[in-house]
Amino acid sequence: MTNETPIFEAKNIIKEYSGHRALDNVCIKVPKQSIFGLLGPNGAGKTSLIRIINQITAPDSGKILIDGKPLQREHVKQIGYLPEERGLYKKMKIGEQAVYLAQLKGMSKKQAKQELMLWFKKFEIDTWWNKTVDELSKGMAQKIQFITTVVHRPQLLILDEPFSGFDPINTNLVKSEILKLRDEGATIILSTHNMGSVEEICDNIALINNSKKILGGKVNDVKQQFSEEKYIIEFKGTGVAFANAIWGGWEMVNNEQLGKNHAKATIKLTGGTQLNDFLKGIINAVEIESVNKVIPSMNEIFIRAVENESNSKKEVTNENTNQDG
Amino acid sequence: MGKIGLIIKREYTTRVKKKSFLLMTILGPILIVGFLVGAIWLGQQEEKDLNILVLDDTYVLSNTLLQSEKYHLTSSQDEGIENIDDGKTFLKKNDQYDIFLYLPGNIVSGNTSVGKLFYKDAPSSNVQRHLENIVDGSIERLRLKELNISNEDYSRLKNKVQLHTIDVVSNEEKNVGMRAGVGFIFGLMIYMFIFMYGIQVMKGVIEEKSNRIVEVIVSSVKPFELMMGKIIGIMFVGLTQFIIWVILSLTLTTTLSLAVFPDMMSPQKMAETAQMEQVAVGIEIEPVNSEAEDVGKEFQDLIFNQIPWGLMIGLFIFYFIGGYLLYGSLMAAVGAAVDSETDTQQFILPITAPLIFGYIVAAMAIDNPNSVAVEWCSQIPFTSPIVMLVRVSMGAEGLALEIITSMVLLIGTFVGTTWVAGRIYRTGILMYGKKASYKEMFKWLRHK
Repeated sequence: MTNETPIFEAKNIIKEYSGHRALDNVCIKVPKQSIFGLLGPNGAGKTSLIRIINQITAPDSGKILIDGKPLQREHVKQIGYLPEERGLYKKMKIGEQAVYLAQLKGMSKKQAKQELMLWFKKFEIDTWWNKTVDELSKGMAQKIQFITTVVHRPQLLILDEPFSGFDPINTNLVKSEILKLRDEGATIILSTHNMGSVEEICDNIALINNSKKILGGKVNDVKQQFSEEKYIIEFKGTGVAFANAIWGGWEMVNNEQLGKNHAKATIKLTGGTQLNDFLKGIINAVEIESVNKVIPSMNEIFIRAVENESNSKKEVTNENTNQDG
Repeated sequence: MGKIGLIIKREYTTRVKKKSFLLMTILGPILIVGFLVGAIWLGQQEEKDLNILVLDDTYVLSNTLLQSEKYHLTSSQDEGIENIDDGKTFLKKNDQYDIFLYLPGNIVSGNTSVGKLFYKDAPSSNVQRHLENIVDGSIERLRLKELNISNEDYSRLKNKVQLHTIDVVSNEEKNVGMRAGVGFIFGLMIYMFIFMYGIQVMKGVIEEKSNRIVEVIVSSVKPFELMMGKIIGIMFVGLTQFIIWVILSLTLTTTLSLAVFPDMMSPQKMAETAQMEQVAVGIEIEPVNSEAEDVGKEFQDLIFNQIPWGLMIGLFIFYFIGGYLLYGSLMAAVGAAVDSETDTQQFILPITAPLIFGYIVAAMAIDNPNSVAVEWCSQIPFTSPIVMLVRVSMGAEGLALEIITSMVLLIGTFVGTTWVAGRIYRTGILMYGKKASYKEMFKWLRHK
């Protein structure tokens, strides 16, 4: 898998808007048939990157490769794009505009109609064909937008906040469709602030902050990278006995008495203490029931990574002001 | 079909299918023909009879005043009124009279004659003119008598010269004024269409932008293709509407003139209306009918022989398309630069100013086709679509070179404006919440 040509690769992308640098030397690789989470706070530069992939704008420098070949007009057919700010023609019939959008992606009218009918049935909206958007709720419109994004069977799907506006049932429907599309061979770039869904379906991620990529890789690797030596230990015995068993080399993060003789402690090992050594120390004081490593959630990782980044920046600016003073 | 073809097709069909389009297309000619027929009909309407009380200080005029079918003049002596104040009160109190005409003593002796017309219901300018003619005629008769000149001698004195305009190159006799009018109608139509459909382009762009569908579409097609597709699609809507209007108007006028008002629409009748004023004057020089017939013939000759219809329609289509592309592309740029229609004001004005100026110059050209302003404006691409046709309608001979230059300039300019608009458009459609200024738009021009 690692030696395979990535379906999508961004090499040293730089993009500036009248003095403001929106993307600074961003490099991203997306392996084939995977779901890639493109994360970052608002205004970090995600939309700029997505627009470059869609050839809506061009980078100032850097290269985009699709399946190893430089990005070209021809690739439009192979890309499906669901923008965050999306809309439909209000006064045009839904079926007609779905066919129109599919035709713009290079499908024939007949083919587009056939495929769309299948999708409409799958999403149980086949009775809407002759309605106009005015008559629909926001969630209904979202379904149609999702369908028009995927109907031409793109190799690369770019979904910007695909779940916003959906109720939990439809969110699941869309989620399962995304996974199905991946299993059928598509690659998906998912830009979202919904970290739960990132954890659930993404294989790889990149975190962009202040126009730079500050974090990237497989979701599990990233989690490992951010996990501290934190463990949750459930045991029979009292917290006091637990705490007095070993001196030094660890910190108590949290201690919760679950029953009279039953407790749960969250600890953090410090100073290079090994888990085994720690356990040896307490094993005589309490009866261990379970030990689990604390894996940080993507939400935590997101916040920590972004905050670290802005803290270090602040320090730099502080130093600068000090020097100036 | 290429992608731009798809866009043109969508822009065209969604607009043509709209009820408002259907309504405008059918109502337009009905309204135009209706107004036309209405105007002619009103012009031919008999005005109601008027009873006029005349106080004449000299007691000379009132006896010689001409009576006519519709204007019944009564001398104030018959009512026993001797001064202006009595006359006024009498008019106020009496329903019998509509107008009180006061002619002071010096009206016969002086050269500038000022009388007074008191009314209860304001008389039309027609009535006023008619009465002035009557008084004038009476004074003339009075003076003829004083000078001892017979009516026959006076008839010989009075002359009426008509100048017929003849083109020295083609040696054809032409009615320049009427032809210019036809050219002006063409120019006016181009002006209207550029306005109407230019605004539609702008609205269409704003709709796509505020809808946010534009981002999906520009991920499939180039912004320039989207813009051009929209402009061209709407252009076909305009041409369709124009063709239907012409066909409907012609059918309507023909049917009306043949079936409903055969008498009213005839050139003779129209000419007579134009001549009525002259009939009113007391002294007739020659039978009016022959002159009316002349005008009628002239009108027919103008319609059927003098206007170079082939050239006019060909040029009309060219200037319509050229002018529309020029202004339409600018309107598209404006639509892309703003977030909503309310922000368009500051950009619309500089665009419509030359258009309105062109219209004014075209109106001027009817009277003065060879003025410098008209010549210049028929070359400048921002006004030439409206002005040039007025000049052409008055005779295309000798204009070939000017027509070609203005066409070349127009093509060059709309290519230029489309390029500029394309650059503003492609940045503008994806900019939200940023207040567009001219400075900002100039920056967009230079974006990569």
